[in-house]
Amino acid sequence: MNGLVKQRVAGGILRRGLATASQTPRLKTFKIYRWNPDKPAEKPRLQSFQVDLDDCGPMVLDALLKIKDQQDSSLTLRRSCREGICGSCAMNIGGRNTLACLCKIDQDHKKETKIYPLPHMYIIKDLVPDLTNFYQQYKSIQPYLQRSTFPADGKEVLQSVADRKKLDGLYECILCACCSTACPSYWWNQEQYLGPAVLMQAYRWLVDSRDQAGAIRKNMLQNSMSLYRCHTIMNCTRTCPKGLNPGLAIAEIKKAIATD
Amino acid sequence: MLQRSFVKEGLARRALQCTARRNLTIPFLSTLPQKAGGVVGTPNDAYHPPAVDKMHGSYHWDFERALAVAMVPLVTIPLAAGGSISTVADSLLASVLLGHVYIGFQSCIIDYIPARVYGKNHNYAMYLLTLGSVFSALGIYKLETEENGIIGVLSRLWTADRESQESKKD
Repeated sequence: MNGLVKQRVAGGILRRGLATASQTPRLKTFKIYRWNPDKPAEKPRLQSFQVDLDDCGPMVLDALLKIKDQQDSSLTLRRSCREGICGSCAMNIGGRNTLACLCKIDQDHKKETKIYPLPHMYIIKDLVPDLTNFYQQYKSIQPYLQRSTFPADGKEVLQSVADRKKLDGLYECILCACCSTACPSYWWNQEQYLGPAVLMQAYRWLVDSRDQAGAIRKNMLQNSMSLYRCHTIMNCTRTCPKGLNPGLAIAEIKKAIATD
Repeated sequence: MLQRSFVKEGLARRALQCTARRNLTIPFLSTLPQKAGGVVGTPNDAYHPPAVDKMHGSYHWDFERALAVAMVPLVTIPLAAGGSISTVADSLLASVLLGHVYIGFQSCIIDYIPARVYGKNHNYAMYLLTLGSVFSALGIYKLETEENGIIGVLSRLWTADRESQESKKD
């Protein structure tokens, strides 16, 4: 009797186990760009890792973290929020700049996925690009409210609903640098051309009805490099993981300073 | 104390290692040395934009757009008229086209032979472009005064084959 129960339970576990374990693991190959600053003479290379898709979260970031946890702890990448609001995990996945945390893994496990850092950037290690220049550019557009006069009552600087609406589609930018590093003009002249991400923020402060430094903001862009290296290639809009339109913002700046 | 001095020494010995610059440069043109990582100043410094110059800023852009918009009717008219247009319209088309092409090539030079990287070679490229444009302007003058204008040249290209065949028959 006792033996029969044991057998049944064991059989049950075996069957239940078989339902998942009998299937062959869906191993997907990820080819990841590796470069180690401790061995600068070694050329960058693509390293292959295999991940079982049945035992992994749906996003590319899940796979990367699984690889880092279980296969190679030296794999280096930036990540923080895992929900597309911090912009840390921007990288080039399958030929498109996007956030690893918002990019679903292609469930076809026979196809391999290639993961590179943001293109045409100086690389610090593996998937970590040097964004110093990008942040310097962001700082140069003075991304903060500037006023010469304040309301007499000393209270808030008010804004109409219509004026607030102008900031929609601009303020959501998380500065992940996907758009800037997708722009060929930014590849060639990133030391001088501000790039779509920073220019969109320049426009965000330009159209803010509460800001009074518009003339200075416009004047800063009056040269051949900072703004006018944009040739409306529109890779920026195409690649934006947040669905924003930096190309339109740059066109609006050009329009705004055309009559200056 | 000992530990701190070790740390300091370590920092002094080795700066942050970054990948080398590996983009294409034009082989026979001399280049200027570039800042490591493309970073000028300390990481906390802001980017310093080039000097304000509206001639290279908004005015330049306005001019470029004006030429591009002007091209639309200037090209449409000869197409609609089947190639027979007045010398004035033809020379207008030729001049606007020259300006349009000049600005296009200027943009290419700024993009691919930037002064930041190539120094004086950037200026030489611009001089070469200007020289070529002057020759083109002379050519346009010659075409308009002595020949049938650029539309004439174009329509002759179209019919050249037929003409030569006909002359062979004769």
